[in-house]
Amino acid sequence: MSAPNRTVLLLTFARRGEERAIQAAMAALTARIPGARVIAVGTPVSAPVLRALGIADILVYGDGKSARRVIEEAQLFMPETVGIVYDDPGFRAHLKLEALAFVVGAKTIWRFRPGGEAALGAQASSLPVRMGRFGLALSVLAKGLQMLVRLGVGMALTGFACSYLCWYGRSRGGRGASRT
Amino acid sequence: MRATLIIINHNGRHLLETSLPAAVAAARAAGDHAVMVADDASTDDSLEFVSRDFPEVRFLAFPRGGFGRTCNRAVEAAETEAAVLLNNDVVVTEDFLPPLLADLAEESVFAVGCKFLNPDGSLTHALGNRVSGEWRRGLLYLHHETDPELLTETCPQLYANGGGMAFRRRAWEALGGFDDLYLPIYWEDADLGYRAWGRGWRVLYEPASVVYHDQGSTMGRIQRPPQVELISARNAVLFTWKNLLDRGQFRRTLAAQSRWVTDDVLVGGLPNRMRALLAATKRLAPAARCRARESRERTVSDEEILRRARGESA
Repeated sequence: MSAPNRTVLLLTFARRGEERAIQAAMAALTARIPGARVIAVGTPVSAPVLRALGIADILVYGDGKSARRVIEEAQLFMPETVGIVYDDPGFRAHLKLEALAFVVGAKTIWRFRPGGEAALGAQASSLPVRMGRFGLALSVLAKGLQMLVRLGVGMALTGFACSYLCWYGRSRGGRGASRT
Repeated sequence: MRATLIIINHNGRHLLETSLPAAVAAARAAGDHAVMVADDASTDDSLEFVSRDFPEVRFLAFPRGGFGRTCNRAVEAAETEAAVLLNNDVVVTEDFLPPLLADLAEESVFAVGCKFLNPDGSLTHALGNRVSGEWRRGLLYLHHETDPELLTETCPQLYANGGGMAFRRRAWEALGGFDDLYLPIYWEDADLGYRAWGRGWRVLYEPASVVYHDQGSTMGRIQRPPQVELISARNAVLFTWKNLLDRGQFRRTLAAQSRWVTDDVLVGGLPNRMRALLAATKRLAPAARCRARESRERTVSDEEILRRARGESA
């Protein structure tokens, strides 16, 4: 019987000022998996923040390294557990982190409360939500669909505005574009 | 060149107590200049205060019209070649006027903006010092210079803040003044400056013309209520719809606007920027009319406007 993999992948868009929340999330994760080795995925901007929190292994994407390459590197660690810290209230950010957690093949996902920086105090971070792969897949799918619907609404709105503005301009003999 | 100093007021009697004497002193110090209080339907005792303590000041009481419309009415009523718009919480220095008028003497200059300081002498961020702009993520991002070292010489800027700007009235009338599209407030001064550059005029920043702005006295400037934030966001969208005529940039900007709705927060009702888009759509027809006019009268491209406003030569 093989030993359990104690690698925990930490996914976060760490920024300065959010160290406390990430630290609390790390503490919660290591309490659940004693002796866990925490690996984080970060950007050149977030890497120093994560390093300052004592995370030695950071997979940095951006700065020439593609997200795909980072995913491949993360998959090499075969993490069974992923901790997601939502330190960004952006909708796309949520989807991105969950999709990444899914593709690296983790079986257990600890999702720390969404709601932005203000909600990410130590208390919020100590109350993570546990998800399995199926739950995560559903969450990614639901968010993906919601994203498509939102994009559709946005495109319909701006498409309508664009068409109307261009049509009106042409009907009034405007050039539609300026020149020097 | 004679000028009228126009203080825009709405229930700001307590602010006029400080700003009006300073304006009157500056007008006197610089020569034969007029001072006017343009009142936007105040219900406090602004009228009594001005007519009792400053009989030489012209007080014009207008029906409720919002900031832009009140400015337009006041400028129309002024009888001098130049006018200076001032917020009622802006306190001018005694020698602030001559540098502005000297800049306006040049025919190519439409407007000149003051140097805005906090009462402690630091640069204020609520009103912009030397503003430049850049199309980014669906909007014209405005950059206010915050380095005092870079604010020592007269230089071009994208627009002069309506809280302290001087201009030639003939040029103002040619441009049609502040656009009603943005009523009640926000982005009308940026729009005016952009249109002025678009017709070949220049807008300058004048660091020798110092005025003080008491941030704390202005309602909600530091932390604006959500409804006011929405108006500002809506007007930012309307600005792009009206003014961005470069086809490629226009398409990119609208594509970015359509993606906004995927960025916004997951919880808490309709996303803010989506609400701004919806609110802007309600003013689509007037925006289209304004855009058609811009398209006919513009002589300078969008890219060139921003370049010139940054002070970069061709």
